[in-house]
Amino acid sequence: MTHLPYILASYGLFAGLAIALTVNATLRLKTARARLALLERPSSRPPGASSSP
Amino acid sequence: MTRKTRRLWLVIACVTCLGAAAALMLQAFSSDIVFFVTPSQVEAKPPPADRTVRLGGMVVAGSVKQEKQGETPVSRFDVTDGQAAVTVRFEGILPDLFREGQSVVAVGTMHKDGFVASEVLAKHDETYMPKEVAEALKKSGKWDPRFGPPPSAESWNTMTAQDAQKTKANPDSPAPAATKP
Amino acid sequence: MTASPSLVARTGSLFHRYANPGRFLRLAARLQPWLTGLALLFTFAGLGWGLFFAPADWQQGDSVRIMYVHVPTAILASSGYAALALCGLLSLVWRHPLADLAAVEIGPVGACITAVCLATGSLWGKPMWGTWWVWDARLTSVLVLFFLYLGHIALIRAFDDPQRGYRAAAILALAGAVDLPIIKFSVQWWNTLHQPDSITLTGAPTMSSSMLWPLGLSMLGISLGFAAIVIARLRAAVMESRVRSLLSNPRRRGDAA
Repeated sequence: MTHLPYILASYGLFAGLAIALTVNATLRLKTARARLALLERPSSRPPGASSSP
Repeated sequence: MTRKTRRLWLVIACVTCLGAAAALMLQAFSSDIVFFVTPSQVEAKPPPADRTVRLGGMVVAGSVKQEKQGETPVSRFDVTDGQAAVTVRFEGILPDLFREGQSVVAVGTMHKDGFVASEVLAKHDETYMPKEVAEALKKSGKWDPRFGPPPSAESWNTMTAQDAQKTKANPDSPAPAATKP
Repeated sequence: MTASPSLVARTGSLFHRYANPGRFLRLAARLQPWLTGLALLFTFAGLGWGLFFAPADWQQGDSVRIMYVHVPTAILASSGYAALALCGLLSLVWRHPLADLAAVEIGPVGACITAVCLATGSLWGKPMWGTWWVWDARLTSVLVLFFLYLGHIALIRAFDDPQRGYRAAAILALAGAVDLPIIKFSVQWWNTLHQPDSITLTGAPTMSSSMLWPLGLSMLGISLGFAAIVIARLRAAVMESRVRSLLSNPRRRGDAA
């Protein structure tokens, strides 16, 4: 008797989750970076310049 | 003491107290946390016939008898923990891993003439060994899976599949890396 | 106790070096490609080796290949919660701002990993043990860990004032850490259906080296992947919080312009 479906289900589950988490993190990073760039565009100072010593 | 130090000690004290409480609770309930009872425990204090217990132990080599009642296979086997043995009767299909010498957990009730299982679970040990190596160890007579756990991994884990093939082809020569059992 | 304040202060200053969001963002941005690349490399190598080239087990056959997913996720489920507890400590004692953000981001990733661990365990248990689930000490304590993660995720987002959520979740994370030794030692303290650990700190592994290598690789790869995803989410969270503060405080933006 083969247990192939169980093995493939395990690997598939892991791959699906890894892809979902990666895509989610990438999209969030992209959106946040774009919004930050948009907000800070009028300023010529680098981000965080007002708070760093 | 600064406020940070005070907070640190407060956290340490809380975690310690909580840990102690948890340890005491686990200690108190430890007889309920065990997953199965052993044959010697069952023999010493037989559970009432209406109570479902899980009986765990090793299947005694040579004790497995299988027959067919109509369509359902019926099996009888002895389960031992090395001190006592209990005969288990089970109607149904045994799990793939079931074999003589394997650890199993039988779920069922204790009757006068033995244990009647409604479910049999196979328990496997923490040893992971390639098929070829196991074959080679069996061929060379260093280990019989029906009578006990495999020899320690150090004795065979440098053995590759090729070595195993060689030993299998020529069973008289000992396995290269395997030491005496 | 005379030495402890200075030690506490020193530990605090060590962690506070990276509390500065700008410094964290620069460091994390430099670290990110390495983490992601190595994670992909090791995960593909380990899982590919495990799935296609590692030998079948003598009693479990090919089902043993589920181990190369199950064991790394199980270890990460526990170490992710340990990281959560560490964040809780940093948050409660040193009021570290980045630790709170990290706790928010580690929670969901850890919960996902724990869910995969439970699911692959189930998928392994059905063909091998003959059951999807049993209430033995190891399985139950990992299920408790999963619920602790869910509780943490809910609690840290439950308050209008984020600081109160951070405080409550930090306490939960530290209290829940009691479950970690229970998970680790459950297979030794009580008899369970789950087998004892094959790899221990004290003894030699009871596993063929031809299986140990792919397992080690996938463990390394999946751990790095966990770190890479958490770092990416944390970077996004730091940027989002900066966006929020810029939006809610337009004076600063006007200043900058």
